[in-house]
Amino acid sequence: MNPVLVMVLKTLLIYGGVITLAAGLTLAERKVAAWIQWRIGPNRVGPWGVLQPLADGVKFIFKEELVPAGANKLLFRLAPMMAAAPAMMSLAVIPFAGDLSFFGFDTRLAIADFPISAMYIPAVAGLGIYGIILGGWSSNSKYSLLGGLRASAQMISYELALILAILAVVVMTGSLSLDDIVAGQRGGIQDWNLWRQPLAFVLFVVATFAETNRHPFDFAECEPELVGGFHTEYSSMKFALFFLGEYVAMIVMASLTTTLFLGGYEVPWFPEAPWFLQLGAFLVKTSFFLFLFLWVRWTLPRFRFDQLMNLGWKTMLPLSLANTFITGMVISLR
Amino acid sequence: MVIVKRKELSLAERLYLPEIARVLSLSFRAMFKKKVTRQYPEEPLPTTAVTRGQPRLVLLEDNQHLACVSCGLCEAACPAYAITIDGGETDRPIEREPERFEIDMLRCILCGFCEEACPKDAIFMSNELELADFSRQALVYDIEKLKRPRAALQGRIDYFYGANDRWRKRSSTS
Repeated sequence: MNPVLVMVLKTLLIYGGVITLAAGLTLAERKVAAWIQWRIGPNRVGPWGVLQPLADGVKFIFKEELVPAGANKLLFRLAPMMAAAPAMMSLAVIPFAGDLSFFGFDTRLAIADFPISAMYIPAVAGLGIYGIILGGWSSNSKYSLLGGLRASAQMISYELALILAILAVVVMTGSLSLDDIVAGQRGGIQDWNLWRQPLAFVLFVVATFAETNRHPFDFAECEPELVGGFHTEYSSMKFALFFLGEYVAMIVMASLTTTLFLGGYEVPWFPEAPWFLQLGAFLVKTSFFLFLFLWVRWTLPRFRFDQLMNLGWKTMLPLSLANTFITGMVISLR
Repeated sequence: MVIVKRKELSLAERLYLPEIARVLSLSFRAMFKKKVTRQYPEEPLPTTAVTRGQPRLVLLEDNQHLACVSCGLCEAACPAYAITIDGGETDRPIEREPERFEIDMLRCILCGFCEEACPKDAIFMSNELELADFSRQALVYDIEKLKRPRAALQGRIDYFYGANDRWRKRSSTS
């Protein structure tokens, strides 16, 4: 079978799956929010409200597209795409499952795997900030601009801790490839990087919350202070694209946490598992982190901006530096 | 002057994480609590005799004629000018009945003054609360829409007299 065709099929499959998952996540978010607040949540569209994302999508398509007066029209149109595209791009290297046979063609359930995939994700995901800050700036609104500025300041301060936490794992494994990192955690639950790098795990999870602009670090939106933050002036599908970007980024970050610290697609104590079991294991582990995103959002209040900066620069950065240093020392002395 | 001493935080509290774990367990347990949502259209609002809903006209025992004699007291009592009455003659022992009795439900403020003003027990505040339609004209209710058999309003009528009796007793002792 033609390898290009396999590639295209895999891409369609993974992107279709993840975008469906992102749509489902919007429903899950409202459901979890409702449950935590002793409510029922959406249950009118379809059984148990499962068609709610579809209804929302149709609504978004039919809404009027507004461009505010004085906006930079080109950047205003470009910004949502620039926010959504990096999140989708970083999806390309996530290994969803191991080897699988595809009509007699052996391949892996990952769109690409190159030797530096662990660095590729933060590098590409970091570009998402351009969409947010340009969206904030080009809408010619003070709330949007403040939201964009805050988002950029926040992302810069947390990206460092995020990358250093990845670095600790990479040093442990001795490879920048996500596949090697997963292979390095083969075995039982006790072989997961979670136990070898607990501090890096905590730092990474906290940093992913900041990286994806989720509560308690959602300063880019910050409804009570900034109306809607960087997307105040956006409507219709442009707004939906920002949302899609945010949810895909959540999925990417949850998958990355799984891959780096929870053994990725490996089924514990069953290294010879077929690909669908591996995919299932991956989805279960990832869903836990996706649930954590929602769970934390509806539990914790938002930080104050100076608290956020203090936490980022005075706590997480030194801790992650120390963690990387100690890990490097131990590895080199061994 | 009051000096408020700030509470000293323990190490665990200053680390955030144990406290975050504590509050997360709290909100996780909240997810399994009994839901407080009322599924409104399927699950209607609970009403009691005290519920002061929309005013309705009471029918006599024969379930045909209104108890109303179109005296116009409710029309006069209505602070929102929602009631319009045109009186008419009948051949029955009760010689008068309304030819037209309209309540503009968009003007009605559900105050219950009409109920208090009525000398003939002809108008009472029912437990009907829902009010929605597509035009203003459709919400001007006429006799056909307002009339109810006495049994449907009995709870409110009993409550009304109970409350009035209590008031009368209190005023007679003072």
